[in-house]
Amino acid sequence: MNLRYKNILVILFLPFLWSCEDVITLDLKDGVEQLVVDGWLTDKPEDQKIKLTLSQPYFDNSDPNPALNAQVILFEEDSTAHPFIDFNNSGEYILPHTDISFLRQGKRYALYIKYQGEEYYAISQLMRVPGIDSIGFENFKFPFAPTDDSPQEGMFAQFYAKDPVGEGDTYWIRTTKNNKLLNKPSQISLAYDAGFSPGSKSDGLLFILPVRQSINDGLYVQNDLVHVELWSITPDAYYYLLQVRQESSNGGIFSTPPANIPTNIVNLNSASTKKAIGFFGLSATSSFSALADTLKAQPMR
Amino acid sequence: MIMIFISFCAHTQENHSISGYVRDAANGEGMIGVTIYIKELKTGTQTNSYGFYSLTLPSGNYEFQLSYIGYKPLVKNIFLDSDRSLDFEMGESEAILQEVVVKAEREDANVKSIEMSVNKVEMKTIKKMPAFLGEVDLIRSIQFLPGVSTVGEGASGFNVRGGGIDQNLVLLDEAPVYNSSHLFGFFSVFNPDAVKDVKLIKGGIPANYGGRVSSILDVRMKEGNSKKSSFSGGIGSIFSRFSYERPFLQNKGSFIVALRRSYIDVLAKPFLNETLKGSRFYFYDLTAKGNYKVNDKNTIFLSGYFGRDVFGADFGFNWGNSTTSFRWNHVFNQKLFLNTTVFYSNYDYSLDSDLKKENNQDSFRWNSNIVNYSIKPDFNYYLNTKNTLSFGGQAIYYTFNPGQATATSGGESRSIGLDSKYAVENALYISNEQKINNKLSLQYGLRYSNYRYLGKGVAYILDEKSAIPGERKDVTEVISYDKGEKIQTYGNWEPRFSANMNLGASNSLKLSYNRLAQYIHLLSNTTASSPLDVWTPSSNNIKPQIANQVALGYFQNFADNEFEASIELYYKKLQNQIDYVRNADLLLNPAVEADLLRGKGRAYGAEFFVKRNKGKLNGWLSYTLSRTERLVEGLNNNDWFPSRIDKTHNISLVSILETGKKWTFSGTFTYSTGTPASFPTNKFLWQGIALPHNYFDNRNTYRIPDSHRLDLAATRKNKHAFFKRGESEWVFSIYNVYNRRNPFSVYVRQNEDNPALTEAVKYSVFASILPAVTYNFNF
Repeated sequence: MNLRYKNILVILFLPFLWSCEDVITLDLKDGVEQLVVDGWLTDKPEDQKIKLTLSQPYFDNSDPNPALNAQVILFEEDSTAHPFIDFNNSGEYILPHTDISFLRQGKRYALYIKYQGEEYYAISQLMRVPGIDSIGFENFKFPFAPTDDSPQEGMFAQFYAKDPVGEGDTYWIRTTKNNKLLNKPSQISLAYDAGFSPGSKSDGLLFILPVRQSINDGLYVQNDLVHVELWSITPDAYYYLLQVRQESSNGGIFSTPPANIPTNIVNLNSASTKKAIGFFGLSATSSFSALADTLKAQPMR
Repeated sequence: MIMIFISFCAHTQENHSISGYVRDAANGEGMIGVTIYIKELKTGTQTNSYGFYSLTLPSGNYEFQLSYIGYKPLVKNIFLDSDRSLDFEMGESEAILQEVVVKAEREDANVKSIEMSVNKVEMKTIKKMPAFLGEVDLIRSIQFLPGVSTVGEGASGFNVRGGGIDQNLVLLDEAPVYNSSHLFGFFSVFNPDAVKDVKLIKGGIPANYGGRVSSILDVRMKEGNSKKSSFSGGIGSIFSRFSYERPFLQNKGSFIVALRRSYIDVLAKPFLNETLKGSRFYFYDLTAKGNYKVNDKNTIFLSGYFGRDVFGADFGFNWGNSTTSFRWNHVFNQKLFLNTTVFYSNYDYSLDSDLKKENNQDSFRWNSNIVNYSIKPDFNYYLNTKNTLSFGGQAIYYTFNPGQATATSGGESRSIGLDSKYAVENALYISNEQKINNKLSLQYGLRYSNYRYLGKGVAYILDEKSAIPGERKDVTEVISYDKGEKIQTYGNWEPRFSANMNLGASNSLKLSYNRLAQYIHLLSNTTASSPLDVWTPSSNNIKPQIANQVALGYFQNFADNEFEASIELYYKKLQNQIDYVRNADLLLNPAVEADLLRGKGRAYGAEFFVKRNKGKLNGWLSYTLSRTERLVEGLNNNDWFPSRIDKTHNISLVSILETGKKWTFSGTFTYSTGTPASFPTNKFLWQGIALPHNYFDNRNTYRIPDSHRLDLAATRKNKHAFFKRGESEWVFSIYNVYNRRNPFSVYVRQNEDNPALTEAVKYSVFASILPAVTYNFNF
């Protein structure tokens, strides 16, 4: 499978050309404001952040209100505490990069949050991650000019890495193009072992082709900087991110019934009506960077 | 059972039986459901699915009146003093403009027959209705009937009285068709040139049918012209059609072969550049049937369907059905008729990432199928004028291949096989149609179905106790079974009952009850079903679906049977309905049963129907008021919620105007309430992405906007097709005349340029006027 596939789809779904999407206004009932936890810690040598905000009505497109004056602590398995501090009073609780060398592969960590009298916790684990061997390019030209302003001719990239033996490794592949993270929900790239899902039995393989190629956003052109990071995640983080992607583009003929995205943030008092949403994750990371160079790229097929 | 016959037979010795076939004078086809009325006795019968009838009457002289909509009534005086065989031929009524010389007294079959919740649409009518892109389509046409709906324009299949698309038993010459769609649901697999008769049974389902809980769509193929050879065909915007039929062996047999192929690819070819030259995107089907009359007592039929959708270039995706059925009609004597059907049916698909095999480092191949073999003897025993017995049975052997795949990455291959699953479904039934008196007739029957899920295979034992409702269950144990070993069995008694009480000369009250069991299920969690959806057998975790339905109907004809009208009320309860955990992984998942939820369903409603059968302007108006709900533990806070196919109001108008020899005009209009939808209450920002959250965690509390649409068509008949031979016609059609963008769904999403912002989107599948021209010929 390669990019030509995309063009076939255009013809294949020719009848769908009659379809259309209209942005409309909807009058929705509002829910109740909830604490939102947005925290993903990595072993990268940089400041680690836990962002606390409050949920808002669905079509309210203003910036979310920060959840201030919370107590945020990360606990190691032996109860060693690492407090996060909201230095700027902006709801962004920070553990400076000088303090994060304690993270160990295979260990579990608990996040504790106390906000407005309610106590919440979340648990995650630092899983293993393989290294990325290389990034390869292939010269490519679309038969048709893309409808957006992306280039018709350029390079198509893939990264090479091998899933370690042992079933149940899950990954989040994050790509930065010219220092800009590809952060659209549809660009969330996940792997279960070397494939897409538990049923694919791809344990111990080189990541399968569509996973390797998931680092493209249109075509790369000469001297684009591609930076790929492989993040180890826990299986529940894999399902969380899968649902994030699903609920972000869940329309059309083959949509599934909308469902709430699960959370791993739990109120210590299970009887409390105050529930938090969001997700706390931990990742060990590996990365590789490459400059797109048409002369070094594989010739056009 | 034999005892019953002996005792019954003893009473009827002084009577004589007359039996035979009713055939179409034009092509020799057996006619289904022709009413035969004996004037003197004010009683009668109807022909069965093969055009066979039988009557047992005291000696005497009788006036036989045969009637069938669209055909000239036939009146014959028959003297009966011994058992005899007699075949009839009926001719089509030329045109409505001509004076009808003989007036039949029995055009009120809808009032007088025991059947209720049954809709028959003549192929003649379907062919005159405006067609989507000019392609006459059976499934689209039946969606204009009361109680029938679709989840949205362009979705595959159809929903009957709140049932899922997999709850319809779609039969093509008695063989089930597992996926009735081409091109993801835009067209159905039935070639209109090869279809003789279509009957949809929504309730009061007789005991000879079983295996699905919502409806039976019984499609009968043409037998082939047994009088002369003829070609017919058509050129449309999507398909080209061609069919040939002719008699053989001194008119003792006949056959028909009909072929359709789409040709977007043929037309597109000159416009494609080098890289796309190899692309393939087409679909086709071949329908063939032959019959041979061995002698007066034996007729055999062989029918086959083979269809396929093919898409791809260097990657490929194809799917299709094939069915073969062999049938043997045997007339033991004037009273006992046997049809034995043996069929094979298969649905399969396959995906291949690299058809040209130019990359041996990385590839993915995947295939899945469902195959079944069955034998089904059905007896009709015409005991006397008051009792007609039906009895028989069916045995079906299923094999399911949920998915076999080979993935190659970096030159290393893995086979991702899900084991095949095996099952046997058996049934026995007996049913009697009894005329108590002129006022009351009954049909009562019982079906017993038995199901065995067999090895070689595995049973997944799920942790039901500590499972959180609505969430994926843990597999605690996997037990292996040997070949032929029983993994799980189920058995169900399925009583059936219908009653017809004639209130007056042209009105009646009907009541029916049926219980149905369904042992195989289509796993599909998307709004419209996709060709990749997999059929799965009942197992230790998946219980058979059960439906109980009662229906009450009032039927009245007006103005000398010019108009027929009915009101039906129904209430249906469904057990063991399948639902899904969020993020359900339904493909290539060995433990897929852990991702399934089990719930209850209920559907109720009222159907209003008025039809004009005669006159220049004919057609029908139907209105359905209905509700379909589900209750699944773990969803919607454990409360009932409207199902995704629920539509409160559904109105259809079909009208056909026949102006004379040359032009026929037709129009259809539909209106329906929008389907339910769920929307979030709140959004939360996570990693820069706005995500939806429903604080109340409820489902389907909103509705998308209503849909309505007008389609028009005009047919111009030409004198000749080619070289002053045959006949031909031009069909001009316009779909969605006033260019409405009917919503398929409404959903929320992030703004494309900034994922932190949110918006709502209305999605329409056919958002424009779609005109089309089709040319049909016949010579």
